[in-house]
Amino acid sequence: MATTVEALAPYAAVPLEEKERLLAQVQADPRYTDYLFGCYECGICVAACPSARFYDFSPRVIAQALAREDVELAYKQMNEDVWECSQCFSCLRCPRGNNPGGLILIMREVAVNNGLRSAREALEGYSRIIYKIMSTGTQVSPDMIRPDAFPDWGPTAAATADNLTLWRRAMPPETMHTTTASWEVAESTLEELYVIWHLTGVLDMIKAIDQGLHMILVDVMEETLEERGYSL
Amino acid sequence: MTQPIVVIGGGPAGLEAARAIGDLGVPCVLVEARDRLGGNPDSASYSTITLDRRTAREALDTMIGAVTDHPYITVHLETEVVGRSGHAGTFQVSLQKTNHRNGSVGTAVDAAAIVIATGFDHFDPGRETQMYGYYEFDDVITLVDAERMFSEHRFVKPSTGEPPKRVCFIQCVGSRDRRIGNEYCSKVCCGVASKQAIEIKQLLPDAKVWIFYIDMRMYGHWEEKIYWPAQEQYKVQYVRGIVTEILRKGDSLLIRGEDTTLGRPMEIPMDVVVLSVGMVPSTGTRHIARALEIPQDKYGFIDTPNVPLDPVSTGVEGIYVAGAAAGPKDLEDSVGMANMAAMRAVALARRQSLVAAE
Amino acid sequence: MIPHESAVGRAFKRDPEQAPTEDVRERVLELEAQGEWIVHRVPDDVVLLDTKYGRKKKIPLRHTWHHKSCGQCGHIPGYSTSIFWLHRKLGLDYDDPRDQTSCTAWNYYASATSNSAAQAAVAVRNFAAAYQTGYYPIIHCGTSYGHYKEVREELLRHPELRKEVREIMAKLGKPLVMPEEIVHYSEWVYAIRNELAVRKVLDLSTITVTVHPACHYYKLVQEDAIYDPDIYGGQRTAVVTGVATALGAKVADYSTWFDCCGFGFRHILVQRDFSRSFAVQRKINVMREEANPDVTLTHDTGCVTTLDKSQFAAKAHEQFAGKPDVPVMSEAQFAALALGAHPYRVAQLHWHAADYRPLLEKMGIDWQARWAEFEADLERLRRGEVQYLTWDEVDAGPGPAPVLKPFETARGVAVVVAEEGRKA
Repeated sequence: MATTVEALAPYAAVPLEEKERLLAQVQADPRYTDYLFGCYECGICVAACPSARFYDFSPRVIAQALAREDVELAYKQMNEDVWECSQCFSCLRCPRGNNPGGLILIMREVAVNNGLRSAREALEGYSRIIYKIMSTGTQVSPDMIRPDAFPDWGPTAAATADNLTLWRRAMPPETMHTTTASWEVAESTLEELYVIWHLTGVLDMIKAIDQGLHMILVDVMEETLEERGYSL
Repeated sequence: MTQPIVVIGGGPAGLEAARAIGDLGVPCVLVEARDRLGGNPDSASYSTITLDRRTAREALDTMIGAVTDHPYITVHLETEVVGRSGHAGTFQVSLQKTNHRNGSVGTAVDAAAIVIATGFDHFDPGRETQMYGYYEFDDVITLVDAERMFSEHRFVKPSTGEPPKRVCFIQCVGSRDRRIGNEYCSKVCCGVASKQAIEIKQLLPDAKVWIFYIDMRMYGHWEEKIYWPAQEQYKVQYVRGIVTEILRKGDSLLIRGEDTTLGRPMEIPMDVVVLSVGMVPSTGTRHIARALEIPQDKYGFIDTPNVPLDPVSTGVEGIYVAGAAAGPKDLEDSVGMANMAAMRAVALARRQSLVAAE
Repeated sequence: MIPHESAVGRAFKRDPEQAPTEDVRERVLELEAQGEWIVHRVPDDVVLLDTKYGRKKKIPLRHTWHHKSCGQCGHIPGYSTSIFWLHRKLGLDYDDPRDQTSCTAWNYYASATSNSAAQAAVAVRNFAAAYQTGYYPIIHCGTSYGHYKEVREELLRHPELRKEVREIMAKLGKPLVMPEEIVHYSEWVYAIRNELAVRKVLDLSTITVTVHPACHYYKLVQEDAIYDPDIYGGQRTAVVTGVATALGAKVADYSTWFDCCGFGFRHILVQRDFSRSFAVQRKINVMREEANPDVTLTHDTGCVTTLDKSQFAAKAHEQFAGKPDVPVMSEAQFAALALGAHPYRVAQLHWHAADYRPLLEKMGIDWQARWAEFEADLERLRRGEVQYLTWDEVDAGPGPAPVLKPFETARGVAVVVAEEGRKA
């Protein structure tokens, strides 16, 4: 993973206090002490990591940067490297009990909460997933398999899209005759989900990186939440 | 008349403690559960002793010879200690034959002091959280399996019986690991692996040998007597980065790790992989802690609350420990502790005999 | 013993006394005793399976609430259908709820547009919904399963998180509930594998299977996953492999067994070159070269998706052009086919991208006839004669009907298969 002066140069103009503030947020997360003990640089995490094979990425260097409180390096990682992790948690083999994947999750949340440009860029093209879960209670749906969205998936994508409504009726489970959601989610269930997003601050997280999406979600949820006594 | 001292365990620490006690003119009862003396170097067929490279057989024979037929030492083989009563200076120690479990008659021995020397077991690689496949691949072996081959002056791939061309060692197996629960370092495996690497190169000069490590623990003179010759004379390749997976690919074993010096993943085919397994409390140690009601540390070793200046006192007055029953030790530690424990035990026995005489 | 004969005769014995971690279920029950939450107990009919350190895990056989997977129901519907079909074939009752949300782990792992509290609240909301029906939750997706195990750890460790989540549940009129065990469906399939074996109607002895174990199943909260001394010497997780072997197929090993499939959550959507490259170069091609499998089986939504969908584009690459596809499916679909399930009405293989037809032929399934039947179904649906395909039409088929009899599990625990009490 690039850690040189050249690699850090793009962030030279960001004030040190800002970098320190973000690192402090990572360290203040309640999960942080569950995820970072010491690191003796054995390299097991890198050896097991799929992203390390394809990107210039190292969970070991991320754990080291945090353990050393290397403000500059951690800031660069929050802006670039953390988005390369594939969340497989093979790095949980760490003999010290560290969880580099977990540390990366915290760093990503801090990036999102602070509206870092890298977070927004990394999540472009992802907004329909967020919209789907927020509005239907299932993360993906049958009508998302379209050849324009997945051209590399081959002719099945087109066949699925062309026959979607028919094929969705041609399966026995009664809850799965849906196209806009993966299964039929009850209205009341959806409402409960909205309350959870609202009360846990998830909507604010989305506002920080995609205001357009946030507005759409507010539209979807507002009425339901107001009926239950919550105002957005 | 000085009451005897009971020494439990006939490995290097126990043999040395018994000899020291006997040489000081105090009666010693040496109890060993197996049918022969020698401990791990014997049962695990160690080939050579680390550092001076004497054969283990020669070293053990010397130590065993020193206690056999010694006028002050009585050896009980196939015998276990099953309990004690009394206190420092006036213990009664219950013994029982190991091969006459049911309906056997035990004996009791009066003892002034007890020395525990029940040693360690080698970590079972099946408990490892990395994917080493010891129970799947015959060509993944441990330091113990390797020593056994060296005692027979050979080193081969178990699956074919042929000499390997590519051999590697993986350090810290079962040690320094929070997930397994053995957080400690087992102290000797770096030295032993390097010694074995040299022995392999001596047997098979054309073989390539690697050692994959986190740190190389080469205390004191191990540095220039073992590590430097291994690298410089025998061209053993030391790579900083621990292996996480071993899988079969074709005829080879594929090891997977990160070369941390070069900062990139590595996958290297090997013929034989040697796991440098660490020390865990032996079944004998666990048994004796229960039988004698002695506190253990969180890993199950006999607790020595007064380290570092008093490495032999346990949580019970009059009961001392020597060797790896107290935690990872090398041979110098073990024989040093054995003599210190012997000295403390003899001093206690002598004081007791003066008290009894009054 | 899978997958080899040891010339040196090593056998591993796991000692539960030496388990390095505390038993999390004891802590779960302690918190119930302290009034912190309600523990949803596993129903009485269970199979006991060994987990990694030799502890026993209770796997419920029936009366289960199925926590479905979004990618599975959405894009691989044969996967969920097969799981339900197996329950019906064995007469084990289940609930397929509408009062269930996705675990929402995509948000958490991929986009970080979520946080601990939201994730925990979603989890316990689903647990409470199950609890209120009296049916015991069983999780379909490997990621949901791994994620819920993580949530359990966090809730155990952080009282302030429990408090926050309890308050949110109270606002929803729900109690705070934690199941006694978090169970993955593949553990259920593994538990009944011998019962599946006696009901199979196909001869699978010529079928070579490679197994891909899901990272999130066994790498998250490593202790809580099924291990069996008779499978890989207890050194690799036993689910999926044990089922394939019980059904009489040959399981072949390959040198990237522990590798991730490359799904990546975010990557599968917005950086697919990574997922594709990884899946084909590290998994599919290695399996092909070293094991030459007829099919690869796995037990997670993301893994089926990545391995199945990545193969098409790879064929444009010179290195992989002309190589045969490796069909990909869940062990549930494979088991269902072995027991006579319809490849299209039940296993829904028309949703899969990698060519499965040579596999069906080798298994002795006349896929052309089956497809003609399915096309006839589609025609009936098109004409409006029927609204949907129903269970009645697919339950009938070759193979012995569910029989009420006691059966021995692998561990010698005798269990009586329940009455046919299917939830409507």
